[in-house]
Amino acid sequence: MAPSQDPLFAGLGQAMRVGTDLLAALIVGGFLGWLIDSYIFDSTPWGVAIGLVLGLITGIRNAYRAAQRWNT
Amino acid sequence: MWIVVGVASVFLLKAAGSKSLVPSKMQSMAELLVEFIRGIIQDTMGASGMRYFPLISSLFIFILFSNLLGLIPGSYTVTSQIIVTGVFALGVYALSLVIGFQLHGAKFLGILVPPGTPGWLLPLMIPIELISQLARPISLAVRLFANMTAGHVILGVLFGLTIAGGVLIGWLPFSFTIVLYGLEVGIAFIQAYIFTVLTCVYIGDAIHLH
Repeated sequence: MAPSQDPLFAGLGQAMRVGTDLLAALIVGGFLGWLIDSYIFDSTPWGVAIGLVLGLITGIRNAYRAAQRWNT
Repeated sequence: MWIVVGVASVFLLKAAGSKSLVPSKMQSMAELLVEFIRGIIQDTMGASGMRYFPLISSLFIFILFSNLLGLIPGSYTVTSQIIVTGVFALGVYALSLVIGFQLHGAKFLGILVPPGTPGWLLPLMIPIELISQLARPISLAVRLFANMTAGHVILGVLFGLTIAGGVLIGWLPFSFTIVLYGLEVGIAFIQAYIFTVLTCVYIGDAIHLH
């Protein structure tokens, strides 16, 4: 990542990224599940449920990977 | 938006107009800006990323100037509309896809499989990576929009409290607005910086597969 800039500035930038990354993955997961539910298969609760769980896993994993990068 | 473009162009043209060896104040500010963007590109994409310098520098300068001009009381922040940031984010993401498929062809789909994944995990990892790819433009757009909007809403509420409070208690929210205004200037810089860094990271991911 970008350590050559001012460390405070780069650190603040990285910290700001994590929160929205968590949320955006959840939104995309739920939305994809809803699309599958209402347009492809007629499986109303299951697509959204599985999509939200997958989105949650994705968001946590992305935030974890971003946080691991700070240690190095 | 045209005002932002106009102010940025006038500033840069005026700064670049006098190419003196000992730079004037404006010239050294512009040189600092260019060096800063160059540093971001070198750190995230390497030397091969300098091809995209015009795109990334114009994105950075546009977002920075619209954030800063929006802080002048009575003016309007372009980046506090989600349609503007959404178009930027979608454009950047589509560009990274085009670059990736141009450079790697169908092998670019391998971006959906993280390196070192055992075979039995593939049915789980591909949807997860797909979601995380699709989340990129959304988080890019929402972050810039939400930070700008939230800052202005807070400033607006505090000014409203100042007026409602009158002289007796109104000094308290007014002093908060002064502190928060400084914070907002910092956030204007940081959000422009994050947007550019993430643009560089996404295009860099498309260039160097894994």
